[in-house]
Amino acid sequence: MASASRERPWPKVSGAKPEGGHYAEFIEHPARFLLRAWRECGELAEFDLGGAPHLLMSGPAASEAVFRAPDDQLSPSPPYHFMVPVFGEGIQFGAPLEIERQQVKMQSSALRLDRMRSYAQVIAREVEDWVARWGDEGEKDFYDELKELVLRTSTHCLMGSEFRAKLTDEFGALYHDLEQAVSPASIVDPYAQTEIFARRDRSRARLAEIIGAVVRERQREGGSHPDMLQAFMEAEYLDGHKLSEHEIVGMVIWIMFAGFHTSSNTATWTLVELARHPECVREIASEVDSVYAPGGELGFASLRELPRLERFLFETLRLHPPLVTLMRRVLRDFAYADVVVPEGDTIVVSPYVAHRIPEIYPDPERFDPTRRFPANVFAYIPFGGGRRKCVGNAFAILQVKSIVTALLSRYEFEPVDPPDSYRDVMPSLILRTSSPCRLRYRRRKEADGSRPTRSEASRPALSEAKPSGDRTSLPSEGRQPERERIASAKARQDRA
Amino acid sequence: MRVVVDLELCQGHGVCVGEAPTVFRVRERPGDYAQVEILLESPGESLRAQAEAAVRYCPNRALSLIEDDAPGR
Repeated sequence: MASASRERPWPKVSGAKPEGGHYAEFIEHPARFLLRAWRECGELAEFDLGGAPHLLMSGPAASEAVFRAPDDQLSPSPPYHFMVPVFGEGIQFGAPLEIERQQVKMQSSALRLDRMRSYAQVIAREVEDWVARWGDEGEKDFYDELKELVLRTSTHCLMGSEFRAKLTDEFGALYHDLEQAVSPASIVDPYAQTEIFARRDRSRARLAEIIGAVVRERQREGGSHPDMLQAFMEAEYLDGHKLSEHEIVGMVIWIMFAGFHTSSNTATWTLVELARHPECVREIASEVDSVYAPGGELGFASLRELPRLERFLFETLRLHPPLVTLMRRVLRDFAYADVVVPEGDTIVVSPYVAHRIPEIYPDPERFDPTRRFPANVFAYIPFGGGRRKCVGNAFAILQVKSIVTALLSRYEFEPVDPPDSYRDVMPSLILRTSSPCRLRYRRRKEADGSRPTRSEASRPALSEAKPSGDRTSLPSEGRQPERERIASAKARQDRA
Repeated sequence: MRVVVDLELCQGHGVCVGEAPTVFRVRERPGDYAQVEILLESPGESLRAQAEAAVRYCPNRALSLIEDDAPGR
Protein backbone atom coordinates (compact mmCIF):
# COMPACT_ATOMS: atom_id res chain seq x y z
CA MET A 1 0.00 0.00 0.00
CA ALA A 2 1.47 3.34 -1.06
CA SER A 3 0.49 4.95 2.21
CA ALA A 4 2.68 2.59 4.23
CA SER A 5 5.71 4.78 3.79
CA ARG A 6 3.90 7.96 4.85
CA GLU A 7 4.77 9.53 8.15
CA ARG A 8 2.25 9.01 10.92
CA PRO A 9 3.23 11.42 13.66
CA TRP A 10 0.99 10.02 16.38
CA PRO A 11 1.54 7.47 19.15
CA LYS A 12 1.28 3.74 18.46
CA VAL A 13 -0.48 1.42 20.86
CA SER A 14 1.91 -0.96 22.61
CA GLY A 15 1.77 -4.74 22.40
CA ALA A 16 1.61 -5.28 18.62
CA LYS A 17 2.60 -8.84 17.68
CA PRO A 18 4.85 -9.49 14.69
CA GLU A 19 2.03 -11.60 13.25
CA GLY A 20 -1.29 -9.77 13.01
CA GLY A 21 -0.36 -6.72 15.07
CA HIS A 22 -3.12 -6.06 17.65
CA TYR A 23 -5.63 -8.31 15.88
CA ALA A 24 -5.86 -11.01 18.58
CA GLU A 25 -6.28 -8.52 21.42
CA PHE A 26 -8.77 -6.42 19.44
CA ILE A 27 -10.96 -9.41 18.56
CA GLU A 28 -10.92 -10.69 22.13
CA HIS A 29 -12.80 -7.60 23.37
CA PRO A 30 -12.79 -4.58 21.03
CA ALA A 31 -14.19 -2.22 23.66
CA ARG A 32 -11.57 -3.11 26.23
CA PHE A 33 -8.78 -2.88 23.67
CA LEU A 34 -9.88 0.53 22.37
CA LEU A 35 -10.18 1.91 25.88
CA ARG A 36 -6.64 0.74 26.60
CA ALA A 37 -5.48 2.32 23.34
CA TRP A 38 -7.00 5.66 24.26
CA ARG A 39 -5.67 5.59 27.84
CA GLU A 40 -2.21 4.91 26.57
CA CYS A 41 -2.10 7.29 23.60
CA GLY A 42 -4.87 9.88 23.94
CA GLU A 43 -6.83 11.57 21.15
CA LEU A 44 -4.99 9.78 18.32
CA ALA A 45 -3.97 6.15 18.83
CA GLU A 46 -2.66 3.98 16.02
CA PHE A 47 -3.05 0.23 16.06
CA ASP A 48 -2.46 -2.54 13.58
CA LEU A 49 -5.01 -5.13 12.45
CA GLY A 50 -3.23 -7.74 10.38
CA GLY A 51 -0.89 -5.22 8.77
CA ALA A 52 -3.56 -2.56 8.14
CA PRO A 53 -3.00 0.71 10.02
CA HIS A 54 -6.03 1.85 12.04
CA LEU A 55 -6.29 5.19 13.81
CA LEU A 56 -8.59 5.52 16.80
CA MET A 57 -9.74 9.16 17.00
CA SER A 58 -11.37 10.12 20.30
CA GLY A 59 -13.11 13.17 21.67
CA PRO A 60 -15.71 15.61 20.37
CA ALA A 61 -13.39 17.55 18.06
CA ALA A 62 -12.05 14.40 16.39
CA SER A 63 -15.51 12.83 16.15
CA GLU A 64 -16.89 16.02 14.63
CA ALA A 65 -14.16 16.12 11.98
CA VAL A 66 -14.81 12.48 11.04
CA PHE A 67 -18.60 12.80 11.01
CA ARG A 68 -18.51 15.97 8.91
CA ALA A 69 -16.16 14.56 6.29
CA PRO A 70 -17.78 13.74 2.94
CA ASP A 71 -18.37 10.12 1.88
CA ASP A 72 -15.85 10.36 -0.95
CA GLN A 73 -13.14 11.21 1.56
CA LEU A 74 -13.99 8.98 4.54
CA SER A 75 -16.04 6.00 3.43
CA PRO A 76 -17.74 3.35 5.58
CA SER A 77 -18.11 1.11 2.56
CA PRO A 78 -14.72 -0.74 2.43
CA PRO A 79 -14.52 -1.50 6.18
CA TYR A 80 -18.02 -3.00 6.14
CA HIS A 81 -17.70 -4.86 2.86
CA PHE A 82 -18.11 -8.18 4.66
CA MET A 83 -21.82 -7.33 5.00
CA VAL A 84 -22.38 -7.48 1.22
CA PRO A 85 -22.99 -11.28 0.99
CA VAL A 86 -25.35 -10.94 3.98
CA PHE A 87 -27.48 -8.05 2.71
CA GLY A 88 -26.98 -8.98 -0.95
CA GLU A 89 -25.26 -7.52 -4.00
CA GLY A 90 -26.75 -4.19 -4.97
CA ILE A 91 -27.76 -3.34 -1.41
CA GLN A 92 -26.14 -0.82 0.93
CA PHE A 93 -22.37 -1.07 0.48
CA GLY A 94 -22.87 -3.56 -2.33
CA ALA A 95 -24.45 -0.72 -4.35
CA PRO A 96 -22.99 2.47 -5.84
CA LEU A 97 -23.00 5.42 -3.45
CA GLU A 98 -25.89 7.27 -5.12
CA ILE A 99 -28.05 4.13 -4.90
CA GLU A 100 -27.02 3.42 -1.32
CA ARG A 101 -28.00 6.95 -0.27
CA GLN A 102 -31.46 6.48 -1.73
CA GLN A 103 -31.80 3.15 0.06
CA VAL A 104 -30.86 4.80 3.36
CA LYS A 105 -33.58 7.33 2.69
CA MET A 106 -36.05 4.47 2.10
CA GLN A 107 -35.02 2.98 5.44
CA SER A 108 -35.68 6.27 7.15
CA SER A 109 -39.04 6.63 5.38
CA ALA A 110 -40.03 3.22 6.70
CA LEU A 111 -39.42 4.69 10.17
CA ARG A 112 -41.27 7.94 9.51
CA LEU A 113 -43.26 9.67 12.21
CA ASP A 114 -46.70 8.52 11.07
CA ARG A 115 -45.53 4.91 10.73
CA MET A 116 -43.82 5.11 14.08
CA ARG A 117 -47.18 5.71 15.71
CA SER A 118 -48.41 2.33 14.57
CA TYR A 119 -45.11 0.65 15.49
CA ALA A 120 -45.54 2.04 19.00
CA GLN A 121 -48.87 0.21 19.20
CA VAL A 122 -47.39 -3.02 17.87
CA ILE A 123 -44.50 -2.96 20.31
CA ALA A 124 -46.77 -2.16 23.25
CA ARG A 125 -49.03 -5.09 22.41
CA GLU A 126 -46.17 -7.51 21.97
CA VAL A 127 -44.80 -6.46 25.34
CA GLU A 128 -48.23 -6.90 26.95
CA ASP A 129 -48.50 -10.37 25.54
CA TRP A 130 -44.98 -11.17 26.66
CA VAL A 131 -45.47 -10.23 30.31
CA ALA A 132 -49.00 -11.58 30.56
CA ARG A 133 -47.92 -14.92 32.00
CA TRP A 134 -45.12 -13.84 34.28
CA GLY A 135 -47.07 -14.13 37.51
CA ASP A 136 -46.26 -12.20 40.69
CA GLU A 137 -42.60 -12.98 40.88
CA GLY A 138 -39.82 -14.98 39.33
CA GLU A 139 -36.36 -15.02 37.91
CA LYS A 140 -35.30 -14.85 34.26
CA ASP A 141 -32.26 -14.53 32.08
CA PHE A 142 -33.04 -11.15 30.58
CA TYR A 143 -30.47 -11.38 27.83
CA ASP A 144 -32.40 -14.32 26.35
CA GLU A 145 -35.81 -12.92 27.24
CA LEU A 146 -35.25 -9.58 25.56
CA LYS A 147 -33.66 -11.14 22.53
CA GLU A 148 -36.83 -13.18 22.04
CA LEU A 149 -39.11 -10.21 22.68
CA VAL A 150 -37.27 -7.91 20.27
CA LEU A 151 -37.27 -10.63 17.62
CA ARG A 152 -41.07 -10.61 17.92
CA THR A 153 -41.46 -6.84 17.89
CA SER A 154 -39.01 -6.56 14.98
CA THR A 155 -40.66 -9.18 12.79
CA HIS A 156 -44.05 -7.67 13.59
CA CYS A 157 -43.09 -4.07 12.76
CA LEU A 158 -41.10 -5.21 9.75
CA MET A 159 -43.26 -7.85 8.16
CA GLY A 160 -46.72 -7.44 9.65
CA SER A 161 -48.98 -9.41 11.95
CA GLU A 162 -49.58 -12.36 9.66
CA PHE A 163 -45.89 -13.06 9.12
CA ARG A 164 -45.24 -12.53 12.82
CA ALA A 165 -47.87 -15.12 13.76
CA LYS A 166 -46.69 -17.78 11.32
CA LEU A 167 -43.02 -17.32 10.55
CA THR A 168 -41.17 -15.69 13.43
CA ASP A 169 -39.41 -18.89 14.50
CA GLU A 170 -38.14 -19.76 11.05
CA PHE A 171 -37.18 -16.16 10.39
CA GLY A 172 -35.26 -16.10 13.69
CA ALA A 173 -33.37 -19.29 12.88
CA LEU A 174 -32.42 -18.15 9.38
CA TYR A 175 -31.39 -14.77 10.68
CA HIS A 176 -29.20 -16.51 13.26
CA ASP A 177 -27.30 -18.26 10.43
CA LEU A 178 -26.58 -14.90 8.81
CA GLU A 179 -25.36 -13.54 12.09
CA GLN A 180 -23.04 -16.45 12.73
CA ALA A 181 -21.35 -15.70 9.43
CA VAL A 182 -20.51 -12.12 10.46
CA SER A 183 -17.28 -12.85 12.26
CA PRO A 184 -13.62 -11.91 12.25
CA ALA A 185 -13.14 -14.54 9.54
CA SER A 186 -15.66 -12.74 7.33
CA ILE A 187 -13.71 -9.52 7.70
CA VAL A 188 -10.71 -11.30 6.17
CA ASP A 189 -12.61 -13.03 3.33
CA PRO A 190 -16.40 -13.23 3.36
CA TYR A 191 -16.41 -15.44 0.25
CA ALA A 192 -14.11 -18.21 1.53
CA GLN A 193 -15.33 -21.79 0.95
CA THR A 194 -16.42 -22.68 4.47
CA GLU A 195 -19.50 -24.38 5.86
CA ILE A 196 -20.53 -21.33 7.85
CA PHE A 197 -20.56 -19.11 4.74
CA ALA A 198 -22.32 -21.82 2.73
CA ARG A 199 -25.02 -21.94 5.40
CA ARG A 200 -25.24 -18.13 5.31
CA ASP A 201 -25.89 -18.25 1.58
CA ARG A 202 -28.50 -21.01 1.88
CA SER A 203 -30.29 -19.17 4.68
CA ARG A 204 -30.29 -15.92 2.80
CA ALA A 205 -31.78 -17.72 -0.18
CA ARG A 206 -34.52 -19.22 2.02
CA LEU A 207 -35.22 -15.81 3.55
CA ALA A 208 -35.55 -14.45 0.03
CA GLU A 209 -38.11 -17.19 -0.68
CA ILE A 210 -40.32 -16.56 2.33
CA ILE A 211 -40.14 -12.77 2.13
CA GLY A 212 -40.61 -12.91 -1.64
CA ALA A 213 -43.77 -14.98 -1.19
CA VAL A 214 -45.25 -12.30 1.07
CA VAL A 215 -44.31 -9.57 -1.39
CA ARG A 216 -45.96 -11.41 -4.30
CA GLU A 217 -49.07 -12.16 -2.26
CA ARG A 218 -49.41 -8.50 -1.35
CA GLN A 219 -48.88 -7.48 -4.95
CA ARG A 220 -51.73 -9.80 -5.94
CA GLU A 221 -54.11 -8.82 -3.19
CA GLY A 222 -53.28 -5.16 -2.70
CA GLY A 223 -54.45 -3.52 0.47
CA SER A 224 -52.49 -1.47 2.93
CA HIS A 225 -50.18 -2.77 5.61
CA PRO A 226 -48.71 -0.52 8.28
CA ASP A 227 -45.31 -2.23 8.32
CA MET A 228 -41.82 -1.68 6.96
CA LEU A 229 -42.13 -4.32 4.25
CA GLN A 230 -44.99 -2.31 2.74
CA ALA A 231 -42.88 0.85 2.96
CA PHE A 232 -40.11 -0.92 1.03
CA MET A 233 -42.62 -2.22 -1.53
CA GLU A 234 -43.92 1.29 -2.14
CA ALA A 235 -40.55 3.05 -2.07
CA GLU A 236 -39.24 4.50 -5.30
CA TYR A 237 -35.82 5.58 -6.43
CA LEU A 238 -35.59 9.15 -7.65
CA ASP A 239 -35.98 7.99 -11.26
CA GLY A 240 -39.30 6.37 -10.33
CA HIS A 241 -38.35 2.67 -10.36
CA LYS A 242 -39.11 0.48 -7.38
CA LEU A 243 -36.98 -1.86 -5.34
CA SER A 244 -36.63 -5.34 -6.84
CA GLU A 245 -37.69 -8.32 -4.76
CA HIS A 246 -34.00 -9.08 -4.17
CA GLU A 247 -33.48 -5.54 -2.91
CA ILE A 248 -36.53 -5.69 -0.64
CA VAL A 249 -35.15 -8.83 1.00
CA GLY A 250 -31.82 -7.06 1.45
CA MET A 251 -33.51 -4.04 3.04
CA VAL A 252 -35.27 -6.31 5.54
CA ILE A 253 -32.02 -8.08 6.50
CA TRP A 254 -30.18 -4.77 6.70
CA ILE A 255 -32.70 -3.17 9.05
CA MET A 256 -32.65 -6.32 11.24
CA PHE A 257 -28.86 -6.14 11.56
CA ALA A 258 -29.12 -2.47 12.44
CA GLY A 259 -31.88 -2.77 14.96
CA PHE A 260 -32.27 -6.20 16.49
CA HIS A 261 -29.42 -6.92 18.92
CA THR A 262 -28.56 -3.26 19.33
CA SER A 263 -32.05 -2.69 20.76
CA SER A 264 -32.39 -5.91 22.74
CA ASN A 265 -28.96 -5.48 24.33
CA THR A 266 -29.76 -1.89 25.24
CA ALA A 267 -33.06 -2.95 26.81
CA THR A 268 -31.23 -5.62 28.81
CA TRP A 269 -28.60 -3.20 30.05
CA THR A 270 -31.30 -0.68 30.98
CA LEU A 271 -33.05 -3.29 33.13
CA VAL A 272 -29.78 -4.33 34.74
CA GLU A 273 -28.97 -0.72 35.60
CA LEU A 274 -32.48 -0.23 37.00
CA ALA A 275 -31.99 -3.35 39.14
CA ARG A 276 -28.60 -2.06 40.29
CA HIS A 277 -29.93 1.44 41.06
CA PRO A 278 -33.14 1.00 43.06
CA GLU A 279 -32.74 4.59 44.32
CA CYS A 280 -33.62 5.80 40.80
CA VAL A 281 -36.57 3.52 40.25
CA ARG A 282 -39.24 5.27 42.31
CA GLU A 283 -39.04 8.51 40.30
CA ILE A 284 -39.01 6.73 36.98
CA ALA A 285 -41.83 4.39 37.97
CA SER A 286 -44.02 7.32 38.99
CA GLU A 287 -43.31 9.00 35.67
CA VAL A 288 -44.27 5.78 33.90
CA ASP A 289 -47.47 5.55 35.99
CA SER A 290 -48.47 9.02 34.82
CA VAL A 291 -48.74 7.89 31.21
CA TYR A 292 -49.53 4.22 31.47
CA ALA A 293 -51.33 1.56 33.49
CA PRO A 294 -50.98 -2.17 32.86
CA GLY A 295 -53.27 -3.27 30.08
CA GLY A 296 -53.80 0.28 28.89
CA GLU A 297 -52.85 1.92 25.63
CA LEU A 298 -49.30 3.12 25.34
CA GLY A 299 -48.96 5.55 22.50
CA PHE A 300 -46.24 7.34 20.69
CA ALA A 301 -46.96 10.74 22.20
CA SER A 302 -46.88 9.38 25.76
CA LEU A 303 -43.63 7.59 25.13
CA ARG A 304 -41.98 10.75 23.92
CA GLU A 305 -42.86 12.44 27.21
CA LEU A 306 -40.79 10.41 29.64
CA PRO A 307 -37.79 12.61 30.44
CA ARG A 308 -36.60 10.72 33.50
CA LEU A 309 -36.72 7.35 31.83
CA GLU A 310 -35.08 8.92 28.81
CA ARG A 311 -32.18 10.26 30.88
CA PHE A 312 -31.74 6.89 32.49
CA LEU A 313 -31.69 5.26 29.07
CA PHE A 314 -29.19 7.82 27.75
CA GLU A 315 -26.87 7.15 30.67
CA THR A 316 -27.19 3.42 29.94
CA LEU A 317 -26.27 4.07 26.30
CA ARG A 318 -23.37 6.22 27.40
CA LEU A 319 -21.72 3.39 29.31
CA HIS A 320 -22.95 0.50 27.18
CA PRO A 321 -23.24 1.67 23.57
CA PRO A 322 -24.01 -1.47 21.55
CA LEU A 323 -21.80 -0.39 18.65
CA VAL A 324 -18.26 0.08 19.84
CA THR A 325 -16.45 0.73 16.58
CA LEU A 326 -17.55 3.03 13.78
CA MET A 327 -15.12 2.66 10.90
CA ARG A 328 -14.19 4.74 7.86
CA ARG A 329 -11.62 4.10 5.14
CA VAL A 330 -9.59 7.15 4.11
CA LEU A 331 -10.13 7.54 0.35
CA ARG A 332 -8.38 10.91 0.15
CA ASP A 333 -5.81 12.26 2.64
CA PHE A 334 -7.72 13.52 5.65
CA ALA A 335 -6.42 16.58 7.51
CA TYR A 336 -7.28 16.90 11.17
CA ALA A 337 -5.77 19.52 13.49
CA ASP A 338 -2.08 19.54 12.51
CA VAL A 339 -1.87 16.02 11.07
CA VAL A 340 -2.87 14.27 7.87
CA VAL A 341 -4.27 10.73 7.91
CA PRO A 342 -3.04 9.13 4.70
CA GLU A 343 -5.21 7.56 2.03
CA GLY A 344 -5.68 3.84 2.65
CA ASP A 345 -5.67 4.00 6.46
CA THR A 346 -8.78 3.17 8.46
CA ILE A 347 -10.19 5.59 11.01
CA VAL A 348 -12.09 4.28 14.04
CA VAL A 349 -14.42 6.35 16.21
CA SER A 350 -15.52 4.53 19.32
CA PRO A 351 -18.62 5.58 21.25
CA TYR A 352 -17.41 3.36 24.09
CA VAL A 353 -14.21 5.39 24.42
CA ALA A 354 -15.74 8.79 23.60
CA HIS A 355 -18.25 8.36 26.43
CA ARG A 356 -15.51 7.71 28.99
CA ILE A 357 -13.43 10.85 28.60
CA PRO A 358 -13.28 12.34 32.12
CA GLU A 359 -12.96 15.96 30.95
CA ILE A 360 -16.42 15.55 29.42
CA TYR A 361 -17.93 12.93 31.72
CA PRO A 362 -16.40 13.35 35.19
CA ASP A 363 -15.91 10.05 37.01
CA PRO A 364 -16.88 8.33 33.75
CA GLU A 365 -17.29 4.77 34.99
CA ARG A 366 -19.90 5.85 37.52
CA PHE A 367 -23.49 5.28 36.39
CA ASP A 368 -25.25 8.55 37.14
CA PRO A 369 -28.59 9.30 35.47
CA THR A 370 -28.59 12.82 36.93
CA ARG A 371 -25.39 13.59 35.04
CA ARG A 372 -25.37 16.73 32.89
CA PHE A 373 -24.87 15.78 29.28
CA PRO A 374 -22.66 18.03 27.17
CA ALA A 375 -24.36 20.38 24.73
CA ASN A 376 -21.89 19.38 22.02
CA VAL A 377 -23.68 16.85 19.81
CA PHE A 378 -20.36 15.19 18.96
CA ALA A 379 -19.59 14.34 22.60
CA TYR A 380 -22.44 11.83 22.89
CA ILE A 381 -22.51 9.42 19.96
CA PRO A 382 -24.28 6.14 20.74
CA PHE A 383 -25.87 6.35 17.27
CA GLY A 384 -22.86 7.84 15.51
CA GLY A 385 -23.21 11.31 14.02
CA GLY A 386 -23.40 13.44 10.92
CA ARG A 387 -25.28 12.33 7.85
CA ARG A 388 -24.42 8.70 8.47
CA LYS A 389 -25.95 8.68 11.90
CA CYS A 390 -28.18 5.66 12.58
CA VAL A 391 -31.50 6.31 10.84
CA GLY A 392 -33.31 4.15 13.38
CA ASN A 393 -32.29 6.05 16.48
CA ALA A 394 -35.74 7.43 17.28
CA PHE A 395 -37.31 4.02 16.69
CA ALA A 396 -34.76 2.34 18.95
CA ILE A 397 -35.41 4.77 21.79
CA LEU A 398 -39.15 4.34 21.34
CA GLN A 399 -38.82 0.56 21.48
CA VAL A 400 -36.67 0.43 24.60
CA LYS A 401 -38.88 2.97 26.38
CA SER A 402 -41.93 0.95 25.46
CA ILE A 403 -40.46 -2.26 26.91
CA VAL A 404 -39.21 -0.63 30.08
CA THR A 405 -42.49 1.22 30.63
CA ALA A 406 -44.54 -1.96 30.43
CA LEU A 407 -42.19 -3.70 32.86
CA LEU A 408 -41.78 -0.91 35.41
CA SER A 409 -45.52 -0.37 35.59
CA ARG A 410 -45.82 -3.92 36.93
CA TYR A 411 -42.60 -5.09 38.49
CA GLU A 412 -39.58 -4.27 40.58
CA PHE A 413 -36.27 -5.82 39.64
CA GLU A 414 -33.19 -6.85 41.53
CA PRO A 415 -29.96 -8.53 40.57
CA VAL A 416 -29.72 -12.25 41.27
CA ASP A 417 -25.93 -12.24 41.10
CA PRO A 418 -23.51 -9.77 42.71
CA PRO A 419 -24.15 -6.36 41.06
CA ASP A 420 -20.57 -6.01 39.84
CA SER A 421 -20.70 -9.36 38.07
CA TYR A 422 -22.86 -7.91 35.24
CA ARG A 423 -20.27 -6.83 32.68
CA ASP A 424 -19.86 -5.65 29.09
CA VAL A 425 -18.89 -8.57 26.88
CA MET A 426 -18.35 -8.78 23.14
CA PRO A 427 -18.63 -12.30 21.76
CA SER A 428 -19.73 -10.67 18.50
CA LEU A 429 -19.18 -7.16 17.18
CA ILE A 430 -22.11 -5.88 19.29
CA LEU A 431 -21.64 -5.09 22.96
CA ARG A 432 -23.94 -6.93 25.36
CA THR A 433 -24.34 -7.96 28.97
CA SER A 434 -22.51 -10.98 30.27
CA SER A 435 -24.73 -14.03 30.45
CA PRO A 436 -26.59 -15.48 32.12
CA CYS A 437 -28.03 -12.08 32.89
CA ARG A 438 -30.34 -13.07 35.72
CA LEU A 439 -32.71 -10.64 37.37
CA ARG A 440 -35.43 -11.32 39.91
CA TYR A 441 -38.77 -9.58 39.43
CA ARG A 442 -41.58 -9.02 41.89
CA ARG A 443 -44.96 -7.40 41.30
CA ARG A 444 -45.05 -3.84 42.62
CA LYS A 445 -47.13 -3.64 45.75
CA GLU A 446 -48.82 -0.33 45.02
CA ALA A 447 -49.71 -1.60 41.57
CA ASP A 448 -52.73 -3.39 43.02
CA GLY A 449 -54.32 -0.53 44.89
CA SER A 450 -53.22 3.05 44.54
CA ARG A 451 -53.04 3.27 40.77
CA PRO A 452 -55.81 2.97 38.23
CA THR A 453 -55.25 -0.36 36.50
CA ARG A 454 -57.24 -1.72 33.66
CA SER A 455 -58.00 -5.38 33.50
CA GLU A 456 -55.31 -7.32 31.72
CA ALA A 457 -57.95 -9.84 30.75
CA SER A 458 -59.76 -7.25 28.62
CA ARG A 459 -57.20 -7.66 25.87
CA PRO A 460 -56.91 -10.90 23.94
CA ALA A 461 -53.42 -12.33 23.92
CA LEU A 462 -51.68 -11.86 20.63
CA SER A 463 -51.50 -15.58 19.95
CA GLU A 464 -55.27 -15.76 20.11
CA ALA A 465 -55.81 -12.98 17.64
CA LYS A 466 -56.79 -13.98 14.17
CA PRO A 467 -53.74 -13.74 11.94
CA SER A 468 -55.25 -11.27 9.52
CA GLY A 469 -56.45 -9.05 12.38
CA ASP A 470 -55.82 -5.36 12.41
CA ARG A 471 -53.72 -5.34 15.52
CA THR A 472 -51.38 -2.84 14.06
CA SER A 473 -54.02 -0.23 13.38
CA LEU A 474 -54.44 2.75 15.63
CA PRO A 475 -56.88 2.45 18.48
CA SER A 476 -60.33 3.88 17.92
CA GLU A 477 -60.83 7.50 18.89
CA GLY A 478 -63.05 6.69 21.84
CA ARG A 479 -60.38 4.69 23.65
CA GLN A 480 -57.58 7.15 23.21
CA PRO A 481 -56.42 9.25 26.11
CA GLU A 482 -56.59 12.98 25.52
CA ARG A 483 -52.94 13.50 24.67
CA GLU A 484 -52.96 10.70 22.16
CA ARG A 485 -56.09 12.11 20.57
CA ILE A 486 -54.44 15.48 20.13
CA ALA A 487 -51.35 13.82 18.71
CA SER A 488 -53.23 11.78 16.16
CA ALA A 489 -55.39 14.73 15.17
CA LYS A 490 -52.17 16.61 14.63
CA ALA A 491 -50.75 13.74 12.60
CA ARG A 492 -53.77 13.85 10.29
CA GLN A 493 -53.40 17.56 9.96
CA ASP A 494 -49.70 17.11 9.20
CA ARG A 495 -50.41 14.60 6.49
CA ALA A 496 -53.01 16.79 4.89
CA MET B 1 -36.74 33.70 17.01
CA ARG B 2 -34.81 32.28 14.09
CA VAL B 3 -34.48 28.65 12.93
CA VAL B 4 -31.00 27.47 11.97
CA VAL B 5 -29.98 24.17 10.40
CA ASP B 6 -26.57 22.52 10.26
CA LEU B 7 -26.88 20.83 6.87
CA GLU B 8 -23.83 18.62 7.41
CA LEU B 9 -25.81 16.82 10.09
CA CYS B 10 -29.11 16.60 8.22
CA GLN B 11 -30.20 13.24 6.73
CA GLY B 12 -33.55 14.52 5.55
CA HIS B 13 -35.62 12.30 7.86
CA GLY B 14 -38.38 14.90 7.86
CA VAL B 15 -39.29 14.65 11.52
CA CYS B 16 -39.30 18.46 11.57
CA VAL B 17 -41.83 18.45 8.72
CA GLY B 18 -44.08 16.25 10.84
CA GLU B 19 -43.80 18.65 13.74
CA ALA B 20 -43.92 21.97 11.90
CA PRO B 21 -45.09 21.48 8.30
CA THR B 22 -45.27 25.18 7.53
CA VAL B 23 -41.74 25.84 8.72
CA PHE B 24 -39.83 22.98 7.07
CA ARG B 25 -39.86 20.82 4.01
CA VAL B 26 -37.52 18.08 2.79
CA ARG B 27 -35.82 18.66 -0.52
CA GLU B 28 -34.72 15.67 -2.62
CA ARG B 29 -31.29 16.16 -4.15
CA PRO B 30 -30.48 13.64 -6.89
CA GLY B 31 -27.14 11.96 -6.20
CA ASP B 32 -26.94 13.30 -2.67
CA TYR B 33 -28.74 13.09 0.67
CA ALA B 34 -32.16 14.63 0.93
CA GLN B 35 -32.05 17.72 3.11
CA VAL B 36 -34.30 19.97 5.04
CA GLU B 37 -35.19 23.35 3.66
CA ILE B 38 -36.38 26.08 5.97
CA LEU B 39 -39.53 27.69 4.61
CA LEU B 40 -39.96 30.19 7.41
CA GLU B 41 -36.68 31.33 8.86
CA SER B 42 -38.42 33.46 11.49
CA PRO B 43 -41.59 31.50 12.23
CA GLY B 44 -43.09 33.87 14.80
CA GLU B 45 -44.59 33.20 18.20
CA SER B 46 -47.67 31.35 16.95
CA LEU B 47 -45.41 28.60 15.61
CA ARG B 48 -43.01 28.54 18.55
CA ALA B 49 -44.32 25.30 20.07
CA GLN B 50 -44.12 23.51 16.74
CA ALA B 51 -40.65 24.84 16.00
CA GLU B 52 -39.41 23.85 19.46
CA ALA B 53 -40.78 20.35 18.99
CA ALA B 54 -39.00 20.11 15.64
CA VAL B 55 -35.71 21.11 17.27
CA ARG B 56 -36.23 18.75 20.17
CA TYR B 57 -37.20 15.69 18.15
CA CYS B 58 -34.78 16.09 15.25
CA PRO B 59 -33.03 12.72 15.42
CA ASN B 60 -29.78 14.26 14.19
CA ARG B 61 -29.95 17.39 16.34
CA ALA B 62 -29.35 19.38 13.19
CA LEU B 63 -31.75 22.20 14.13
CA SER B 64 -31.55 25.01 16.62
CA LEU B 65 -33.52 28.10 17.55
CA ILE B 66 -31.81 31.42 18.10
CA GLU B 67 -33.72 34.00 20.08
CA ASP B 68 -33.89 37.52 18.67
CA ASP B 69 -32.14 38.98 21.70
CA ALA B 70 -29.42 36.31 21.77
CA PRO B 71 -25.91 37.73 22.09
CA GLY B 72 -23.31 37.41 19.35
CA ARG B 73 -25.49 38.14 16.35
